[in-house]
Amino acid sequence: MKKLLGQLFVIKEFGAIIGFSAVFVAFAIINPRAFLSGQNLGGMLTMAAQLGIMAIGISFLMISGEFDLSVGSVYALSPMFMALMVNGGLHPIPAFCIALAIAAFIGACNGVITLQMGIPSFITTLGMMMLVRGVILAVTGGFPVLYKGHAFELISALNLRFGDTNFRASTVWFLVLVIIFAVVLTRTRYGNWVLATGGNRQTAQALGINWWRTKFTNFILCSLLAGFSGMVNMGRFLTVEADLGEGMELEAIAAAVIGGNLLTGGYGSIIGTLIGAGLIGMMRSGLVLAGAPVYWYRAFIGGILVAAVIINVRVQKAVVR
Amino acid sequence: MNKEDSFPLVKMENISKSFGKISALKNVDFSVNPREIVGLLGDNGAGKTTLVKTLVGIHSPNEGTIYFDGKKISFSSPREARDMGIETVYQDLALVELMSISRNFFLGREPTKLGALRVLDVRKMDEICKKVLTEIGIRVRSTNEPVSHLSGGERQSIAISRAMHFGAKLLILDEPTAALSVKEVNKVLDYVREVREHGLSVIFITHNVNHVYLVADRFTILEHGKNLGDYRKEEVSAEQVSQMIATGKPL
Repeated sequence: MKKLLGQLFVIKEFGAIIGFSAVFVAFAIINPRAFLSGQNLGGMLTMAAQLGIMAIGISFLMISGEFDLSVGSVYALSPMFMALMVNGGLHPIPAFCIALAIAAFIGACNGVITLQMGIPSFITTLGMMMLVRGVILAVTGGFPVLYKGHAFELISALNLRFGDTNFRASTVWFLVLVIIFAVVLTRTRYGNWVLATGGNRQTAQALGINWWRTKFTNFILCSLLAGFSGMVNMGRFLTVEADLGEGMELEAIAAAVIGGNLLTGGYGSIIGTLIGAGLIGMMRSGLVLAGAPVYWYRAFIGGILVAAVIINVRVQKAVVR
Repeated sequence: MNKEDSFPLVKMENISKSFGKISALKNVDFSVNPREIVGLLGDNGAGKTTLVKTLVGIHSPNEGTIYFDGKKISFSSPREARDMGIETVYQDLALVELMSISRNFFLGREPTKLGALRVLDVRKMDEICKKVLTEIGIRVRSTNEPVSHLSGGERQSIAISRAMHFGAKLLILDEPTAALSVKEVNKVLDYVREVREHGLSVIFITHNVNHVYLVADRFTILEHGKNLGDYRKEEVSAEQVSQMIATGKPL
């Protein structure tokens, strides 16, 4: 029995699974009919998906030993530029590509500044978060940007609603990305290098791994995913608020950490991130259905975060005896 | 002994390296012959690690020339040195703790399949790793176990067996016996002898004279970035070597 428990503790996602199950059961008992409905499930997944796409990038970057706090700002910047370009007459497809390129460029800047100047990424990306938000406020004057261009169906397809249900395309993007990144992390040479770079950069370097390029690539991937997630969000609402995504970077980090990704790098799971993002999405809609004031949402996330990390730390201790 | 055998595997001539105003190496000559274990000794900050980092391409020398295997070389990264057959095992840096034994064994040289997708051939990794470790006499429960579960001696031996498996010509060991129990020190020293039996040369960096004296053929002593002298084992006793390190003066 003890051995079995010991083995369970070594599952990286253990904390996330426990947290997810506990919250799920609690909501299911409080308001079974509404909570277990297809409508609510779809809503939960939609919320989890947009946060989750961002959290995949955060996790990957975190596993290689770096942070990105600017993702919340990029989440607003990319769709803002896309909307402005389409409103100006550009076709949505090139506009979409340019908006993604802008996100990638910001990731590349984060990477070069952090890696070349030797500044902690926490600081670099904190600065980038403010800088990008400042650009958004300056461009929009604080007003929402409405998507007014032609070809609505193209942008809407990004977050298509399946029939009368509450299920949306964002869930599909999220699950596909989870599978791709989970396979890359655990089954490819690149994933091996990501783990090694975050686990011990000097060792990776001594063994001839290009840690610089690995981290740099992850900065770009992280920013790209944040920009993509922001455009998926616009596909649903067809508008970008100037404060869209504020605080979302912290929720994405929370999702990654709940999922068992080690804050200091070298260890983690994209499946864990999936559960972590799912848990946060579930909290958001579950609290409303349970009749709790929405204000409590953040407090609950905070509590869950700490509880999950307590379990995760035990798992990691079992690995690093 | 034919002529080819007598040509040194490593020859570093007149190497100088400075970091800003601090000069870490001053006109150092250093060589390693084929199938030779050289003890590279000196107090902390004497320039031992800087010298080997210059050899493997982590630092580039300000002055001097380096020959390896008869060719003049200047590596721009440790990867090039590794490809040429120079394997370095740094103290505490040999393996990534959170990763499994087999992943560490192949780190930087992963066998992959499916072409450009570079998917790890996990089965091959486990098979080869298990086979090599068994051959050398290292017993592990599973090659999927994280390295953090292993003792310091086991880690050193895995790193050493990795170097041998991948056909290194020169093995550089940085303080391989630091922080090991007496039993484990003897085991690691056995592996170092084994490495020479396989035809490799070894640079053994340490400041523990007693450990290196048991296995080395020759000693090079550094002091404040200068070469204090090269001594064959027959020429000096362990006490004389430690005296030179302590006083900073040649015999």
